[in-house]
Amino acid sequence: MNIQFKKGVLEICVLSVLAHKDCYGYELVNEISKRIDISEGTIYPLLHRLKDEGHVTTYLQESAGGAPRKYYRLTESGRKEEHEQKEEWMQFCASVNALLEGKNHAAD
Amino acid sequence: MLQTEQEFVRILKSRLEGTLPPEELSDIVSDYTEHFRIGRTEGRLEEDLFRSLGSPEDIAREIRATHLVKKAEAVTSCKNILHAVLATIGLGLFNLVFVLIPFIILVLLLVIIFIVGVAFTVCGPVAGIFALLQLAGNPSFAIWLSPAAGIFFSIGITALGLLLVIGDLFLARFFYHIGIRYLKWNIGVITGTERLT
Repeated sequence: MNIQFKKGVLEICVLSVLAHKDCYGYELVNEISKRIDISEGTIYPLLHRLKDEGHVTTYLQESAGGAPRKYYRLTESGRKEEHEQKEEWMQFCASVNALLEGKNHAAD
Repeated sequence: MLQTEQEFVRILKSRLEGTLPPEELSDIVSDYTEHFRIGRTEGRLEEDLFRSLGSPEDIAREIRATHLVKKAEAVTSCKNILHAVLATIGLGLFNLVFVLIPFIILVLLLVIIFIVGVAFTVCGPVAGIFALLQLAGNPSFAIWLSPAAGIFFSIGITALGLLLVIGDLFLARFFYHIGIRYLKWNIGVITGTERLT
């Protein structure tokens, strides 16, 4: 997949995973990197930016037999952002798909 | 270089100390130490974790640029925007073209308008004084067709000069805000993409 493409979609991926459930960093990185090939370290600066912008908050929670983990949770504005970006993304994909399919037909 | 957690954290800290407030830095570092800790308990090797995180230098550069842009947004100043622009340029060669060049052109434009404005504002009254001396009958200052024309010209040029200076300040403010938005977008979407794989 085109690398220029990935960084831009990383944000929507993070928002989307968090919309389903609260995650600790490692878990979130795993969820995303098992589907998209990324430098895992870039997720954390992104999370910090989202926190700065008020889209996510953090809380500590004990883990089974280990040190407490930092969980990330979407805020109200984060949910709104997730919803908007998802809509935009879906529309964008639909348009691109329509174009690509049209092109294939033309090539036939 | 040893690819260990210690090394990763050391690089991150050394690049960000002095720029980030200490509590923000320790917050960021704690994310990575947690990442290594959980990774180890899942049986992954430290080297492997290090490698999949990506270069700590690049991560530090991105965090630094984000922070400096945020700072420039909070406090409007020439120094802050310069630091933000330089940090963003440091994210990749790509930004020499897409950040540095537009930045230089804008700064030159603003400086030139300012200089022209100041020159007009200063020249106007001087021209006015010449016209008044001509009116007083001093022939060596008779540079105008008539003293009245000289005074009109002087008022016009002064007003134009002031307008340019004031307009320039508004223009600078406008570009500052647009610039911040562009830098944010740039950091979020464009730069650093080469390290994603």
